[in-house]
Amino acid sequence: MKSVLLILLSVIIFLEVDADVAETEAWRKKFPENKKDLYAIQHRLQELLPKAKKGLVAIEANDGAGSGVIISSQGLILTAAHVIGKTGKKMKVRFANGKRASAISLGGSELSDAGMLKIIDEGPWPFVGMAENQSSQIGDWCFGLGHPGGFDAKRGIVVRIGRIIGKKDETMQTDSRLLGGDSGGPLFDFQGKVIAIHSRISQKPDQNFHVPIESFQANWDFFKNEDLLTFNEIEKGGFLGVACEEEEDGLLVKSIVPNSAAAEAGLQAGDVLLKVDDQRVNNREKLTIIISSKKPNEEVSIEYRRENTTNSIQLKLGIRSN
Amino acid sequence: MNFFPLLLGIFFIFSLNFESVYCKDENYSESLNKEFRLNGTQIQNAFGSSKEKALNTTVRLIRNHKLIALGTMINPEGFLLTKASSCVGAREAVLANGEVFPLKIRKRFEDLDLALYQLISEKNDFEFVRWKDKNQTFEISWVLSAFTKLEEVRVGIASGKQRPIGREGGVMGVLLGREGKNLGGVEISEVIPQAAAYRAGLLALDLIVKVDGRKVYKRDQIIKIVGAKDPGDLINLEIKRGERTKFLKVTLGHKSVTFDLFNRNLQMSGPVSKRKDNFPLILQHDLPLPKEAMGGSLFDLDGNCVGINIARVDRVTTFSLPAKIIKPYIEEWLSHE
Repeated sequence: MKSVLLILLSVIIFLEVDADVAETEAWRKKFPENKKDLYAIQHRLQELLPKAKKGLVAIEANDGAGSGVIISSQGLILTAAHVIGKTGKKMKVRFANGKRASAISLGGSELSDAGMLKIIDEGPWPFVGMAENQSSQIGDWCFGLGHPGGFDAKRGIVVRIGRIIGKKDETMQTDSRLLGGDSGGPLFDFQGKVIAIHSRISQKPDQNFHVPIESFQANWDFFKNEDLLTFNEIEKGGFLGVACEEEEDGLLVKSIVPNSAAAEAGLQAGDVLLKVDDQRVNNREKLTIIISSKKPNEEVSIEYRRENTTNSIQLKLGIRSN
Repeated sequence: MNFFPLLLGIFFIFSLNFESVYCKDENYSESLNKEFRLNGTQIQNAFGSSKEKALNTTVRLIRNHKLIALGTMINPEGFLLTKASSCVGAREAVLANGEVFPLKIRKRFEDLDLALYQLISEKNDFEFVRWKDKNQTFEISWVLSAFTKLEEVRVGIASGKQRPIGREGGVMGVLLGREGKNLGGVEISEVIPQAAAYRAGLLALDLIVKVDGRKVYKRDQIIKIVGAKDPGDLINLEIKRGERTKFLKVTLGHKSVTFDLFNRNLQMSGPVSKRKDNFPLILQHDLPLPKEAMGGSLFDLDGNCVGINIARVDRVTTFSLPAKIIKPYIEEWLSHE
């Protein structure tokens, strides 16, 4: 019986693999090989755009303009922290047809540049879906939407295609081109889901920075509850003194700052931080948010794993020195 | 008021200090190999015969050994079109195969900012573009153009509505402040360094009393008079500086050039075309081309010429004149020849 099952299973797996090979879409290939592939990519983009465009808004405040994307029918909007600037700020969002709605800024983080705001007028609002955690990777085709240079009804929304050229921690890098005013606009994958938010440009026009959707997902409640992590808070708040890399269930300590709170408490490179004050930490930004919300000398409890044993310690946070 | 609220956009945070907090630019342990990127060699090669067509029908236009524009070959006798305002003084044209020909100008179409040149040669079998001026559905489709050395192409997507681009008008390069009959004119609150007014000797707090002989009390009056003129035009000002009356002539500047100094977006864009206004119709795309690549043609995936690149606007925007706008001009001119 067992062996029959096994054979069945392997047949199924085999069939699936086979099907995948037969139907590899042009945008899943390592690179488009010919015009047929390019047409397929173009066609896919044309197919996804009408829906993607509906979620895009221009964001207006007295002191500037940016872009954003609506991700719920109640009007929750993802944007960049530098577009909202602070929490509780009254702003206007503008749709492609020129109509405006009132919004108020929620929270975000200057570290990743993730920001949120919410439309306060009655919905429902058109919205787009977000990609699942870790679903995007280097080499994926993507397209950015936004209002480069600000809203322009005669020009309309501008689409730029590109590929993910790097993804690490709180940033994604693509060769999809950006300009001021695009800030906060969405980057979509070829499933039509939001994978990132436009953040910064580099001097080279084909290397631009975006906030990956994972940054939002890891700190969703913090951002939504009108909390904004600022560089000022990071500077003045408590300081632990670890440099980490994200792992599935925690943060792998790569190095310890000498004489820091972490060093004095005996944390070592190779330890995996699991919880801080009973909150799970598997996102670097989340750790920074928790630690920076405390004052120097405040105590925190840390749960960490060292060589398969889980340990708990209490330690007093230090001061960030430059 | 010569002042247009500059795009007070939120500009990307771009300070050294910020970058150094968590410098990422070159720090990726893993990144997509250059050949697979949007403008990498593998993607360019997928365009196949369209790429070849783009390279073989585009020419480099040279003045003093420097590339000043690209050109688009439009017939076998060696006629080519280019961006007129970029191409002043071009002496020779270089083809992708390295052949060099002297040039003579045949005609300028000022309203399109196009110039028609001819290669001086006995040859009558030059490769030229195949226009696509009907059934143009460009929004969201691949486009490509030859890059400056005619060895590579640049690819991207046409998006944004086809639309006319209005005239910008000339500017003095001042910010206007207080106004009114009691004051006896309009006060200059700021003079933009290096702009037209600055070069004419205007200073902050000068009171503009007359413009071209007409008394002015309101900012709007000045804006109207100046805006009706073009860059390069002269205006006569009567001003009061303290108790003294002065007469100054100002040669108006380009709005974009004058105010770009303050525009972060354009600071980050690098050199842009001087004339990027006043076109009857444009289509927009995002090919990363320098301003010296204007005048070259824009192709679709099938290798048809859908337009001529006419202005580098900023780092994400290039305007092209659609083929359907260009063709009637050419046909009319050829019918007279």
